[in-house]
Amino acid sequence: MNAISRMWVVFQKEFLDNLRDRRSVFSALGSTLIGPVILLLLIVILGKSVFKEGDTTPLEIPLAGAEHAPGLVAFLEQNGAVLEPAPADPAAAVRNGDLELVVVIPPGYGDDFSSGNPATVELYVDTSRQSAMSNVERARTLLNGYSRQTGAQRLLARGINPVIITALSLETVDVSTPESQSLIFLNMMPYFIVMVVFTGGMYVIIDATAGERERGSLEPLLINPIPRREIVIGKLLASLPFAVLAVAVTLIAFGLAFNVFPIEDYLGFQLALNVNALLGIFLISFPMVLLASALQTVIVTFTRSFKEAQTYVGFLPLIPALPGLGLAFLPVKPALWMMLIPTFGQQILINQLMRGEVINTTHVVISVFATLLVSGLLIWLAIRLYERERVLFGAR
Amino acid sequence: MIQVTELHKSFDAVKALQGVSFTAPDGQITGLLGPNGAGKTTTLRVLYTIIRQDRGTAQVDGYDTLTQPLQVQRSIGALPDSQGLYPRLTARENVRYYGRLHGLHGADLEARIDHLAAMLEMDDFLERRTEGFSTGQRVKVAIARALVHGPKNVLLDEPTSGLDVMSTRAMRSFIRRLKDEGQCVLFSSHIMQEVSALCDNIVILQAGRVVASGTPAELLSHTGQANLEDAFVAAIGSEEGLVRA
Repeated sequence: MNAISRMWVVFQKEFLDNLRDRRSVFSALGSTLIGPVILLLLIVILGKSVFKEGDTTPLEIPLAGAEHAPGLVAFLEQNGAVLEPAPADPAAAVRNGDLELVVVIPPGYGDDFSSGNPATVELYVDTSRQSAMSNVERARTLLNGYSRQTGAQRLLARGINPVIITALSLETVDVSTPESQSLIFLNMMPYFIVMVVFTGGMYVIIDATAGERERGSLEPLLINPIPRREIVIGKLLASLPFAVLAVAVTLIAFGLAFNVFPIEDYLGFQLALNVNALLGIFLISFPMVLLASALQTVIVTFTRSFKEAQTYVGFLPLIPALPGLGLAFLPVKPALWMMLIPTFGQQILINQLMRGEVINTTHVVISVFATLLVSGLLIWLAIRLYERERVLFGAR
Repeated sequence: MIQVTELHKSFDAVKALQGVSFTAPDGQITGLLGPNGAGKTTTLRVLYTIIRQDRGTAQVDGYDTLTQPLQVQRSIGALPDSQGLYPRLTARENVRYYGRLHGLHGADLEARIDHLAAMLEMDDFLERRTEGFSTGQRVKVAIARALVHGPKNVLLDEPTSGLDVMSTRAMRSFIRRLKDEGQCVLFSSHIMQEVSALCDNIVILQAGRVVASGTPAELLSHTGQANLEDAFVAAIGSEEGLVRA
């Protein structure tokens, strides 16, 4: 009997054993839908407020002192604003968030206006309230429009062309596309995939190592004529199908979410994530799956119980999360050194595949080899730890 | 045949073994007798290669535990201190796993499992998952998987602990049967009566040392006592090992 067939025996046993374990199966599949579901929820909840123009609803302006400025009131109403009576204390109402803005026309308005002095109009806003800014901006534009129109009329009355006071013609060209806006959401996807990589095979590793010790089946197992390195590798391999399956399910869920769910209704455009991109992401995840299992095996070797193992291993997905979440908010240009960092390089590559960018072959090769190298070192370390007597007792 | 010479082993400050030597010949039952903490389990663990001694040698059929661990593991069947089974596998699957690790497979392996199941009277629960098995059923599965490859040397660490009277009797007759088949049986116990009822040779351990060894008759004449119980007390210098489990 050679090493391969002995490892195969260990693999088969652990695979069958964990297939019968609801915890292992649920842990592999349960975490897969978290990413797609969170992403869809974000799109449904935030999509409208972030991306949809607010122009369609009439602008409501609570206005005090309307009787002082009939011209302004008429202008506002002509431009679609719905005027409402203002509360007695406009500052408090805005500060409490009852109203987004209040316009107050003081009693001195009429005199200033007639004499040609700048007439004061008060606009109560709360600049710390981001959600109100869109309507505040609309109100400000309307008020400025009235100011410009009146000014132009006064110049014309004096025989001066009003164009003379417009020195600059400022035109803003918005180059953002619907796709680049959607990347705010898409940028979170690589992390969700890495998270699944780390949780997919987690229970199999814990069960096959800490669980084996806690059940008291490790000592009799180690008496069998099989080198410990083969036991470690066999167990480690048994976790891979669970993790790979979890990644596949996640990617299919993402694919369905982006291609079948009517995202267009919420964002105003459809996200594209084609089969080739999904397949590429799947393949790029493979070395990470090995890395996750190796790292988990090493950590679990030091723990004394199933629960302790669960606690430590449960924290692992948070480590790749840090650079991953950073990527979501501060996209970086892919550089060679980043590919040397396992899980970080992959998240950048996944991000690129997702955007439909052409990925650099050298980057892929370096990322794969760096991750496999680190995995190899971790497996070697796990074997060394298993060859110690203390592995029986889970001592440090 | 098991040969142990001058075994020393320390765990940090605790000296578990301080020069243990004995021989367990084929076709005989050798008992390791001693109170808790005397070094019985540590000695057995050295023999089944999961603990490495600091000094001394341990050999099974001439194979050294340090330099030829795989050959030693092939030559022994062991019922260690922890006898955990895989609860999601059936009794047969538990035994089959060990058989396959020993390189057995196919019809030969299944026939061997059937033979052991008949011998240990475990047909009733052979195809059931081991979750919820009684202690007696668990021990039977643990023994079946330890002996699935037909080892010449059988090491049993406190095989009757936790068993009821009927199971204990069955275990004792099973140990005698192994002896009749020519196996070398080495088992540990802290129960003097059990050892004296079964063993051809008795090795009495106390605080990591062999304080007396030999056939029951030799032990009596060596200690100058009239019965084994007194001989045992005289050897270890206390009545610690006499408590009936």
